[in-house]
Amino acid sequence: MKIRGSQTKRWVISIVAGAVASTLAIAPSQAIPVRSEVGVSATEIVLGMQLPQTGPASPGYNKIDDAMRAYFDFVNSKGGVNGRKIKLVVKDDTYKAGLTISTASTLINKDKVFAMVGSVGTQTHISIIKDINRRGIPDLFVNSGYSGFYIDPKKYPTSFAALGTYVVESKIEAEYLKANYAKELAAGKVGVLYQTDDFGRNVLAGFKQQGVTFPPANTQKFVAGSQALGLTRQVQALQAAGVTLVVIAAVANATAITIGTAAKLGFAPKWLVTSVGSDATTFKTILASQGTSGAVASALLTGVISASHAPSPGEDTDEFVIAFKKINDDFNVGPDKTWDNNVLQGMNIGYLTTAALQGAGKDLTRKGLIAFMEGKGATLSSAALSPLSYSSKTHEAYNSFWIGAYDANSVLKPIGGTRVLYTTDSAAGPITVSTYKRPAIAADALPKVG
Amino acid sequence: MNTFISTLITGTANGAIFALAALGLVIVWRGAGVVNFAQMGQAMFTTYIASNLIASGNSYWLAFIVALISGSLLGMIIDLLIMRPLAHKKSSSATKTLAGTIPVIASLGILAILQALAGIFWAGEERGFPTPVNSFYFKNGDGTLPFSAFNLFVIGVVLIVLLSLTYFFTQTGAGLGMRAAALNPEVARLSGIKVSRMRTLSWAISGAAGSLAGLLITPSTNLSPNTLDLILIIAFTAAVVGGLDSPLGAVIGGLILGIGIALVTTYGSPENVFLAILFVLLAVQLIRPNGILGGKQVRRG
Amino acid sequence: MDKYKNIWRKNLIKTLTLGVFLFLLSFTFEPYNQGQLALVLMLFIGVLSLTVLTGASGQISLGQGALMAVGGYSSASLITHLGASIWIGFLVAFFATAIFGLILGTAAARVSGPYLAGTTLVIALALPSVANRFESVLGGDVGLIVDFGTPPTWISNLIEVGYEQWQLWVVLPVALTALFFISNLMATRAGRSWQAVRDDEIGAAVSGIPVARTKVIVFVVSSAIAGLGGALYGLRGLVGPSVYPVSLSLTLLTAAILGGVGSISGAFIGTLIVVFLPDLIDWAISGLAVSEQLSNYLPALLTGFLLLATIIINPAGVMGAGHRKKH
Repeated sequence: MKIRGSQTKRWVISIVAGAVASTLAIAPSQAIPVRSEVGVSATEIVLGMQLPQTGPASPGYNKIDDAMRAYFDFVNSKGGVNGRKIKLVVKDDTYKAGLTISTASTLINKDKVFAMVGSVGTQTHISIIKDINRRGIPDLFVNSGYSGFYIDPKKYPTSFAALGTYVVESKIEAEYLKANYAKELAAGKVGVLYQTDDFGRNVLAGFKQQGVTFPPANTQKFVAGSQALGLTRQVQALQAAGVTLVVIAAVANATAITIGTAAKLGFAPKWLVTSVGSDATTFKTILASQGTSGAVASALLTGVISASHAPSPGEDTDEFVIAFKKINDDFNVGPDKTWDNNVLQGMNIGYLTTAALQGAGKDLTRKGLIAFMEGKGATLSSAALSPLSYSSKTHEAYNSFWIGAYDANSVLKPIGGTRVLYTTDSAAGPITVSTYKRPAIAADALPKVG
Repeated sequence: MNTFISTLITGTANGAIFALAALGLVIVWRGAGVVNFAQMGQAMFTTYIASNLIASGNSYWLAFIVALISGSLLGMIIDLLIMRPLAHKKSSSATKTLAGTIPVIASLGILAILQALAGIFWAGEERGFPTPVNSFYFKNGDGTLPFSAFNLFVIGVVLIVLLSLTYFFTQTGAGLGMRAAALNPEVARLSGIKVSRMRTLSWAISGAAGSLAGLLITPSTNLSPNTLDLILIIAFTAAVVGGLDSPLGAVIGGLILGIGIALVTTYGSPENVFLAILFVLLAVQLIRPNGILGGKQVRRG
Repeated sequence: MDKYKNIWRKNLIKTLTLGVFLFLLSFTFEPYNQGQLALVLMLFIGVLSLTVLTGASGQISLGQGALMAVGGYSSASLITHLGASIWIGFLVAFFATAIFGLILGTAAARVSGPYLAGTTLVIALALPSVANRFESVLGGDVGLIVDFGTPPTWISNLIEVGYEQWQLWVVLPVALTALFFISNLMATRAGRSWQAVRDDEIGAAVSGIPVARTKVIVFVVSSAIAGLGGALYGLRGLVGPSVYPVSLSLTLLTAAILGGVGSISGAFIGTLIVVFLPDLIDWAISGLAVSEQLSNYLPALLTGFLLLATIIINPAGVMGAGHRKKH
């Protein structure tokens, strides 16, 4: 009875306050009711994030938080969301789950965050996902394609993805291979190099789902993190097996090592790189600092096939890319703000977060935010060319990918000139062509929800 | 191309660099009785210096020389500021039994500091590192030979380093003094050898050797504050396998590790590489505790 | 015999007092500090295992984290696959890691000083890769999700217990048991004979102490304690390779060194320092315009400096002076 009473009261207050706020639009911040939700005040929303900012797993990913913060600062400069400024508290877990658990406790108990947003890493996030969910803390836009987090919302009701799952992407890539490289597949000329973790295994599972398997001689692997020992042996084995197309399921630096090593060995197969490892900036930075000239690095990347749910960061006519790039130039204060996939991804999460907070309304609660994500999250748009698939049945994000190849300017371009989006799920569902059209970005580069 | 042959060659090329890193460990162990776990941290640091010089337009060879010099300077600084005061400290009853491990702990502290400083200075981003000579494999008609000019360069460098170290330790006054100071400091001191100076010299030489290993391994590992951690572990295993006090043993150990890792990767599974390293390390210590070429008396700790 | 009985009684009183103190203290804490205190106690058990090894053999291990992993995996696989209770998990972790320590000790008893340090470092690196080999049981790269669960109804009916508080209540008795066990062991005849071996192997052998067997037993005890700590540490949320990395072993060593090698109270103080250092740094630099770059690496940098300073100024650690006087 007590609870119901307070809810009613809250409801009345918010209606009254809403009315007052709309009439007194000059001073909205004072009119917003003082609420008791953790991490939300009349003037501020505190969000938490964890990622490897230092350590072996940090390169590249450590730019995502700076991009997100840049977008939030941009939003704040425009008055915030419903008068509340967004504050992002970031914790470095060095990609070690033992530390992730500690930093999560800091974010939850000390910084009293309202929600977690954009956290990076599968192995690390898995160590806290149960606890976050048990506490009912929204766990938005997790930067991991591990489908186990999202496909059973009863298990993890508050966790929502920021990426398409590894399985969705690799199913679509497998289908592309079947359509365009049937001869090579039949002749056993297609090989794979994968890292032996959830990511690598999920990619293999996605290919298998579509009936694409790799002969043992064409299957090479490495322990994630041990690429420092070199991948020469693996690449030589693929070369010796005579494959003409190699699928790479590895992080960006290992992908760069693989393609660079193959070049040294005089091995020039067609490459298909999954989106995780397909980052032109990382690729060219590593090769350039190895003394490979920009022209040679570009030549190596040219023709590499990859998939994406978003525009390529190099597509400088894309309206989202233009807007995000400008915000990055104006607001990013991180140590390295070079425009690339990671920055685009961070900006996009910032944009989606802002949209979700708008959608959850002035009376911002954790429950309300999750209800909005499940009910209307699929209607949100972003820089991505794929629709979102959030519902009460799944918390996966992007279900569509387009297949492209890098051109001479290191921009991923649709193969054949026209961009075709393919849609599927993380299970046994069919692959279909999507007709989704991305809504345009507003002139002020802010989402418009609610 | 024969898989076995190419595995051996790849293993040898990597093993040569592991050998250099192991040589660095052996020199400090011989000269100062310390297993230096910070060595590849020092190498990482000086390779970053070289990388920055190259990035700002200087030639590879200038950067190469600067890295070697700063490597030996860093080694000397570590000895003068930390290791020498530690060695001169009177051991109390509580620390006497720890005498062998105190420098190990100190070196771990140094490693943590160097990695943190590199992260602060150079943003912790991952970069590549160039090779001085072409690292593309030699062309052979339509195919390639299983090695590159860089592989030959590395093997040549390791041979030169090994030969000059052997000459230094057996033929020169300073080298003989270093050995004497390491084997029996008291006697050495009585015969007029400046023992402390000999120790500092060994830190300097080891620092340069480690730097050299860093310059030659980073083209394949890339450069970030942590990428050389694995190399240290391999180098330690190589040094123990060969005998911690034997430069030639370090080279043999490095080659065994390099070839072993390549064989396990090719014929076993890359997932077993670390277990294989552990197995080799334990097996050697059980069967031949002083390593393949290690002397009997020199083992301490 | 009477002397040992006295020590036994004194240790029991000391341990119980500490337990009651921490238990009462936990009520005044916010959940954050309750969780931090639970973490201190878990790591304390790990550091204790190192204290046993160092105090009784003068050896340093860089692989205690791997032993904690053995404990964590053995308890988590029981809990996950057989639905065992966490208390059964602790018991099994203790004995499974003891057996592992027996194997390891038999091999490592011949190794000492920097050799042992390096060898245990390789163990810390190699052991997690076993999880990848037995993916179906050990969960591969992803690991096994386990946690402390919720308090039984007879407690939750009585009093409302927060998640962190429950963590602390589970950890506290286990940590106290370990503490009691170790402080008795170090004080009694067994512990004395270990120290005799540490200080003078030949002398110990002459006076009839089986040196080789003693060394192995030290390893077994140290491992079992580490395994217990590892089982608790895993219950924070996950047992997986990235929960027990090489850096965990180094953290334990740092705590042991900072507090004072071989000293039990030092182990506790060292663990406190290691756990609360990031909070201290956050507090110290709040308000200062410190770049993200610097603040990210500051904990590692300071830890390194503290370690070096301890080794150079007083290698016996914070508790070193008192420790030395006793002998």
